Amino acid sequence: MKRKMHLMSLLNVVIPVAAALAVGALVILAIGEDPLYTYKILIQRSLFTYRGFLKTLHFASPLILTGLAIAITFKANVFNMGVEGQAVLGAFFAGVVGFTVKGLAPGWHVLLCLLTGVVTGLLFALIPALLKAYFKVDEMVVTLMLNYVVMEVVKFLSQGVFRDPASGYVSTYAVAESAMFKKLFDTDLTAFFFLALGVFLVMLVVFMRSKLGYEITAIGRNPEFAEAAGMRVSRKIVIIMLISGAISGLAGAGFLMSEKYRFTLDFSGNPGLGWDGMLIALLGNHNPVGILIAAILYAALKTGSEYIGLFTSVPKDIVGVIQSVIILFLSVRFLAAHTALWERLQSLFTALRTARTSTGQRTDTP
Amino acid sequence: MNMLHSILYDLVYHSTPLILAVLGGLFAYQANVLNIGLEGMMLMGAFSSSLFVLLTGSLWQGILLSILCTLALGLVFSLFSVTLKSNFIITGFGINLFASAFSSFILKYMRLANINVSLVVDVPALKIHIPVLADIPILGSLLSGHTPITYLSLLLILVVHVVLYKTKLGVYVRVVGENEEAARAVGINSAKIKYLAILIGALFCALAGANLSTERMALFTSNMTAGRGFIAIAAIYCGKAVPVRTTLYAVLFGLAKSLAINLGLVAGPISGLFETVPYLAIVLVLFAVSAVETKNTRLRGFGHE
Amino acid sequence: MNVIETVELTKKYGQFVANDRISIAIPQGQITAIVGENGAGKTTLMNMFYGLLRPTSGTLIVKGQEVQFSSPLEAIGLGLGMVHQHFKLVPSLTVFENIVLGAEINRELRLFNRLKVKSPLIDGKREREAVQALIDSHKLDLDADEPVKNLSIGEKQRVEILKMLYRSADILIFDEPTSSLTPQEVDELLVSFNELKKQGKTIIFITHKLREVMAASDQVIVLKRGRVVGSMPTSATSPEEIARLMVGRDVLLTVEKEETADLESQPVLYEVRNLATEVAPGVKFPRGISFAIRAGEILGIAGVEGNGQSELVKVLSGLMEAVEGTVLLEGQDITNKWPDELRRAGVGIIPEDRYAQGLCGEMSVTDNLVSGRLDQKGFCRCGLLRREAINRYRDELVAKYDIRLADADCKAGELSGGNAQKVIIAREFDAEPKVLIACQPTRGVDIGSIEFIHNRILEFKRKGRAVLLVSSELSEVMSLSDRILVMYKGEIVGEVDGRTARSEEIGLLMAGITSKQPVPTGGDRA
Repeated sequence: MKRKMHLMSLLNVVIPVAAALAVGALVILAIGEDPLYTYKILIQRSLFTYRGFLKTLHFASPLILTGLAIAITFKANVFNMGVEGQAVLGAFFAGVVGFTVKGLAPGWHVLLCLLTGVVTGLLFALIPALLKAYFKVDEMVVTLMLNYVVMEVVKFLSQGVFRDPASGYVSTYAVAESAMFKKLFDTDLTAFFFLALGVFLVMLVVFMRSKLGYEITAIGRNPEFAEAAGMRVSRKIVIIMLISGAISGLAGAGFLMSEKYRFTLDFSGNPGLGWDGMLIALLGNHNPVGILIAAILYAALKTGSEYIGLFTSVPKDIVGVIQSVIILFLSVRFLAAHTALWERLQSLFTALRTARTSTGQRTDTP
Repeated sequence: MNMLHSILYDLVYHSTPLILAVLGGLFAYQANVLNIGLEGMMLMGAFSSSLFVLLTGSLWQGILLSILCTLALGLVFSLFSVTLKSNFIITGFGINLFASAFSSFILKYMRLANINVSLVVDVPALKIHIPVLADIPILGSLLSGHTPITYLSLLLILVVHVVLYKTKLGVYVRVVGENEEAARAVGINSAKIKYLAILIGALFCALAGANLSTERMALFTSNMTAGRGFIAIAAIYCGKAVPVRTTLYAVLFGLAKSLAINLGLVAGPISGLFETVPYLAIVLVLFAVSAVETKNTRLRGFGHE
Repeated sequence: MNVIETVELTKKYGQFVANDRISIAIPQGQITAIVGENGAGKTTLMNMFYGLLRPTSGTLIVKGQEVQFSSPLEAIGLGLGMVHQHFKLVPSLTVFENIVLGAEINRELRLFNRLKVKSPLIDGKREREAVQALIDSHKLDLDADEPVKNLSIGEKQRVEILKMLYRSADILIFDEPTSSLTPQEVDELLVSFNELKKQGKTIIFITHKLREVMAASDQVIVLKRGRVVGSMPTSATSPEEIARLMVGRDVLLTVEKEETADLESQPVLYEVRNLATEVAPGVKFPRGISFAIRAGEILGIAGVEGNGQSELVKVLSGLMEAVEGTVLLEGQDITNKWPDELRRAGVGIIPEDRYAQGLCGEMSVTDNLVSGRLDQKGFCRCGLLRREAINRYRDELVAKYDIRLADADCKAGELSGGNAQKVIIAREFDAEPKVLIACQPTRGVDIGSIEFIHNRILEFKRKGRAVLLVSSELSEVMSLSDRILVMYKGEIVGEVDGRTARSEEIGLLMAGITSKQPVPTGGDRA
């Protein structure tokens, strides 16, 4: 029974990814390029070379975190669409602490910056959390709107007060060396990856074996039951959102300190750490292990896409197209035995078969 | 005085895409299929209208093709959320991300930073100046000098109200949303009704997108919808999908945007922050609406939809 | 002449067979009762007659022609009409709008004084007139313009009947039509069945109440687990035989009630004073609720559903806020406490809707058994669950409460109604509460489990605890309670002695007909 469920879960992921790759292949063909070659570059460069693989892990670090941040709320049926904004805000203020505070030893400085990111994300998530928990305001729209507010605010701050006049495009000062994550073994990998891994392990325990994990599942599946059982749903929703905000802030801060070092207007990339996190959480079925795997695979896509531009003329955004199609197909649980569709298909087949026999034709088994 | 004229004119200018999006989107809401994909459909409308105008060289052909294109996107959404019974929030997001990624992809492929169709579309000439109305002191800027689709949208407010409350289609949409079992028990094809509701939304979003990019600026830039689809969804929530009330909320948010832009001109560098006003306004309105509802209920906990 | 015939009609959901090769005949112009326990497949069968479900295999013959309905529209076209157990009405629309739903009349425009053109707009006036004419001709006493949400259950049922008559239905199907009616309304309904029969209509009604079968039907068909186990004229059978066919063994139709020791001398365990809550701003419903339950007493609350019982239970379970009044447990004030606090104080709750409030269908039975009790019995340490302790507990309870599981880890939603209810009962009883609030404890439960649950409740009472029993099944309330309160329109309108009251007396109170005397509240304290 359990094995059948696991197989179905696996297929539920494989089918959407395969379908999306197929759609992507069609698009690539339509512009006259070779999809197999494109995909080969995508995968080879990112997973099968030493440097490439470590670079992939490096890029996966913030994604593991944003994926977990999304999953913990989605699993409770709370749609925190603000992970993007919380990550960006966390990154920004971590950066501010990174270049304004001087004279700290590297270890402490890194810790301080990360803490700033975490607290920023947490506080920012408090607003939609309280609104949802105590006023039943739809968190999805509020967090989305707040994302746009964050974008404008950081744009304003990085163009004005915190702008680095020495750089040609809009950017803040770079963080001090003491606040940067050092690259390890002469590759792109930093300690941030291991930090992300640590958070992953903690969340694994929380999801699988903790009381909070049990309550998250109950609230997500049947909130009325959860309240009747005494789980104090409102309080728990606030806690869940705060954890999500904290992890998002950590993701943004860590990404700034291990890769970007300064805040620019395209800091989060396209479509953004939070949106990538959403795809990863969906792919991983809101399960930490699934998220870890999905984050690494997705980071591989991202890493690989850098090389696509070098070797083909396929625009990088093909990855975004593939991503969106994956999300579309993931929204349907194909193999949850779509009995209605299946039944209709079956009756269509029987109708076709009886039609053929009644007109006297041979009934070949298809 | 100029400022007032500008604010009022911009009010209509910024409200139009929102009005169109809410008018179309409220059908889906009434039928209990929340169309989160309004943002993506509007973006697709904006993108495809500019693209096709550029490719065909004709404004009306471009808009027509854009409508077909957006309807196709709406069909995908319907297929997934109605027939395949997907989680329509996630499907909607997929649609939004697809529209965004696909439009960027095509732009990059065509090696364009944006789509400029000012050679085909003469923006000033599109504006309709109504002689008598234009001369009324204050209202003049409200009433005259707008594009065809803008006037169409005002007409559509009335049309949507009549359709929703006085025709079979409207009754069926509302019944499917309120009690789908009751609809099916008398033989109404609820799936068909939901498809129609979503496709109407797609059609209106196509018009909204065309208004946004082609009509008003003859230009398409990446992700130019900037959350308008979600603002429309917020307006529908606040107005509970009742046509006139929802349109008023849409206009309210359009006013916020108009004020933000116009006051920002005089405020200098802080003007960037003014851009946040519409979004904050929505959060406040949603909060106010929900707070009142919550105060009135004695039920504890969640899960009572 | 048989107006409907089925030949080996079958409906499967994957492996589960809801209707198994059913072959029956419904004679024209007669009243046929379809009987069976919950889950026997009665509604599934009727939904196939009405075109809401498509058969997996077998043949359906209506009025002599073989049919394959793809939607209710086709069934309606052949004269079929159905009133479902849960009414399929649209609350915000008026009576006439609901009746003409799906068959609206469009306005017609006159062009050039000659051509009649159909406009897309609806003609509300013509619709209202047509419906009013139908109401008058059948003497059904309804206001065509009233929004359906304001109607009583009996009135709503009449709207559903009119829906069928408007479409000239002559085969009328009723699914559990009496579950929400007072005894008098039930009698009125059975009378109208006869009226319709005199007009030549064929009536099929589903029920599990044997009294109605004997009183109203000409023919009985008994279903058990999806199969037909009996089909005979009503005059040729008896309630005992039907019950035996339904369950497969002899069934005790009433519970043995024992004499309880002198209740008046027992202490009051659970008391409610002047409790009220609001369903809309300023609208107090229910209100003025006061009662007291002594140790070893079962207090029953009878009443047609929708008279405030749900809201009362929600307040007492901590799911709704009271705006007035107090609740006391052993003298301690527990008014407006949250569910976790109530459980700790010793309140056990069997909720009204077991799937919405009592269980999480997608979680395992094991997880459901410990819900709300994770901080007890060492189930949890430092925030982490201890699976061995939880699993051991589950095994203990499954044995003690006879819960039938396919495998130890199955989901709660996969259990039958009776087993699911037993899970809730196991969980609540095992916490040894001081007072038990049981709301609709045997709704949708098979007869065997009903016996089990009733016995457990009586055992609980014998231990000297208090029980509040809220149920719309009058027979259940009457057979178990020591005292019975009746609720009507949000207030308690009467109290009767559980041992001596008759159903007619209670029925009058349920319909709001009270004597002029003041209503005594239970447990008068000197």
